[in-house]
Amino acid sequence: MGGAPARPGPSSVSRLVVRDVAIAFGGVVALDGVDLELGAAEIRGVIGPNGAGKTTLLNVICGINPPDRGEITLDALPLVGLKPSVIAAHGLGRTFQATQLFRGMTVLENVMTGLHGRLDEGVLGAVFRSRRLCDAEAQAAARAREVLAFVGMEKFEERLATELSFGQQRVIEIARALISEPRVLLLDEPAVGLSLNRIVEVDSLMRRIRDERGVSILLIEHVIRLVMDVSDRITVLSHGRKIAEGRPEAIRIDAAVIEAYLGKDLHAGSPAP
Amino acid sequence: MRALAGRRNVLALAGLVLLVLPALANPYILYVANMALIYVILAVGLNVLLGYAGQFAFANAALFGIGAYATGLLQVRLGLSFWIAFPAAVVVTTLIGLVVALPALRLSGLYLALVTLAFAQLTQWLMLNWERVTFGAGGFKVPPLTFGPLPAALGLYYLSLVLAGLLVGGAWNTVRSGIGRALVAVRDSEVAAEALAIDLARYKAIAFSISALYAGVAGGLYSAILSFVAPEGFDLFQMVVQFSMVVVGGLGSVWGSVLGAGLLVTLQEALRAFKGGQEIAFGLVLMVCIVFLPDGIISLVKRRARGWEEPLRAPDRRA
Amino acid sequence: MLPYLLVSGLTTGSLYALVAMGLVVVYKATTVVNFAHGELFMIGGFLAYTFHVLLKLGYVVSLVLAVAAALVLGLVTERLAYRPLMRAPAISVVLAAVGFSFVLKGAARQIWGGLGDYMPFPPVVATPAITLGGLILVPQQLVVLAGALICMGLFTAFFTSTRTGKMMQATAENAKAARLVGIRVDRVYAFTWGVGAATAAAAAVLMAPLTFVYPDVGSPLLVKAFAAAVLGGFGSLPGAVLGGFSIGLIENLAGGYINTSFTDISAFLVIMLVLIVRPTGFFGPRAVRRI
Repeated sequence: MGGAPARPGPSSVSRLVVRDVAIAFGGVVALDGVDLELGAAEIRGVIGPNGAGKTTLLNVICGINPPDRGEITLDALPLVGLKPSVIAAHGLGRTFQATQLFRGMTVLENVMTGLHGRLDEGVLGAVFRSRRLCDAEAQAAARAREVLAFVGMEKFEERLATELSFGQQRVIEIARALISEPRVLLLDEPAVGLSLNRIVEVDSLMRRIRDERGVSILLIEHVIRLVMDVSDRITVLSHGRKIAEGRPEAIRIDAAVIEAYLGKDLHAGSPAP
Repeated sequence: MRALAGRRNVLALAGLVLLVLPALANPYILYVANMALIYVILAVGLNVLLGYAGQFAFANAALFGIGAYATGLLQVRLGLSFWIAFPAAVVVTTLIGLVVALPALRLSGLYLALVTLAFAQLTQWLMLNWERVTFGAGGFKVPPLTFGPLPAALGLYYLSLVLAGLLVGGAWNTVRSGIGRALVAVRDSEVAAEALAIDLARYKAIAFSISALYAGVAGGLYSAILSFVAPEGFDLFQMVVQFSMVVVGGLGSVWGSVLGAGLLVTLQEALRAFKGGQEIAFGLVLMVCIVFLPDGIISLVKRRARGWEEPLRAPDRRA
Repeated sequence: MLPYLLVSGLTTGSLYALVAMGLVVVYKATTVVNFAHGELFMIGGFLAYTFHVLLKLGYVVSLVLAVAAALVLGLVTERLAYRPLMRAPAISVVLAAVGFSFVLKGAARQIWGGLGDYMPFPPVVATPAITLGGLILVPQQLVVLAGALICMGLFTAFFTSTRTGKMMQATAENAKAARLVGIRVDRVYAFTWGVGAATAAAAAVLMAPLTFVYPDVGSPLLVKAFAAAVLGGFGSLPGAVLGGFSIGLIENLAGGYINTSFTDISAFLVIMLVLIVRPTGFFGPRAVRRI
């Protein structure tokens, strides 16, 4: 297959390994034995019709809902059973389907909070405002400004999170997740509700995150065009199971995927690829 | 004018006035000022829990009472001196506050309110009925404090002033650090906070401990200023008064709590004359303040004067 | 002793249930806990006293009048303590309602205080206790219990069968959608507060013959009604009813078998234990964390 110029593909050593993960909520099976391996500096798109289990997969990986069975490892560290905050401290970042910025903070404060796990501040230092604390705060603010510049939002640092537009908030959320230098970033529908211009920006932002910072991205998206364009590989879920996985070009023409989205009857009448 | 009323100037002036107050004022005014300092400590601590961490807990009045009772009982039942009883009582209150935090880690909103309410009722009941230890409904007298050569009222006033200064300063520093941001993160979005490696349990515990510690200190001072401890200072009405101080002053604002406490203590004293209408007057004041200044009185100050900015805003308005 | 305690428990429980229902119905519609609810109960009791004892009107007439007046008072509460604060943080609404409750309490003390702090209310049914094969039944209690059950039935019927009731349900479930189909949501809110207050007053008037009427009854009652509602998984009317009966029974059994001073506190101990073990209340849904 021709197409995109060759670039270093995902390394053979997987960063995030999900093996046979299953979870049910009150009798309804959300995930039914899903396997997934994410390499270093790889963008993996995860798509599938509504209810396929995509967000559940993210929730299970980051520890919000422990799976009923299966293993998950991040650089060989087992994640199942750990608290979400511990998993995050080990280098897993995440954004949410409904943006979860801290409404009581400015943009800069929001992003600085992202450094929580790496901040060198002790309780006594905080209470007495020690030199060490002042330095740590200044450094945190500087790093936050850096990340804001990286995502192109440096002008907004003093604005309250609630004053930003929907699209701007989503970009800030990514910046906040990025500042702690995670190894894996889980993005839950970053393009939802965005204008075409913004989607293009998010697309290029994700590439820069992968190329300049070496972060692996697991991306849930419904905007198929974006997923096809930016992903190195795509995993397709349907009814809690993986039904296809491969390069975007292959997924586009995969019969099982088409059927999952469009249904059997339509497939019978669809034109040849 | 705006620059003149800036925070540094106001605080310097207030500090000066408070320092020399005993020389200027009569004993009653000194007493009211001392009370105000005690409630400032209480309100600032409660604000950390309620305003910054967003934990709707009703236990503070009870913890205030535990601080007072512990300080008093350690002196009266065990014969310890105030200078040992007081710190010990603060430790005890903080630990009990942590115990109260345990259910808080699993509960939120209404359920948290109810569990802490139940704890408050339980504490009241023990104060009233566990007569063998707490002396029951009549309360008990505490031996008056001595400060060496200084008259007791003066010594206690300066002790309160120093403690208030340290504790308010400590709170102010804490909210300006990563801890403050972590608390607000827990308040505004638990799930996002966790995704940023913030341990919810740890920070809720920190918030509860801080408010309990402050309540314990305030309680100990309270027992000393009255030389008397009885159940009625620590009931549901008192909890409402404390919440009012925080909200009227400005939720999520350290200086708002200082302001709110000062104002409401003065108001309570002024209303003592209207014995009959005290409830009506307090209720009206509360309603008017909340309806017309939902961001608290500190919002007025922030608008009119410069230099009163604080990091981290009040809890968000509902959509 | 047990049967007597059970009947007492069910009787007070039925009143807690009724009061809790009023609290829950306002919460379901507006997501606000009306902290003046206890005082609305209290005023209902005083109004009944005025109508029945001072003005010598019939008991049922007094009941109806008191409930009607409380309904108006509920509308006033909504107008003063809720509507101006719809965009403020939740605690502001709570404190505004609390402020209003103090105004009500102070006013009650001023208006009726001169007659004495605790005012006795004559029993509705003057017949002496019936002994039924070892079971001692106090007719007054049975009347109260029956009355409360009737009120609960009427309330539920209103809520589920009448047009207004269905509008209230719709608004509670989804205010935006209700607005879109033409429901006057702000009127529904106001009316909901009125209905909540009316149930509290009904409970007060039913309860009055069994105990005294006094200004400070509001606070402890609010706390217990709140507890009953939470026990039932806040937001569920049947849950509130079950919660109310549970608290009434626990109270009376503890008071009878352990010590009368345990009456007030036993319910709270139980609640603390229940919430520690089952954070969403005894009859509430099992909580699962979803994003």
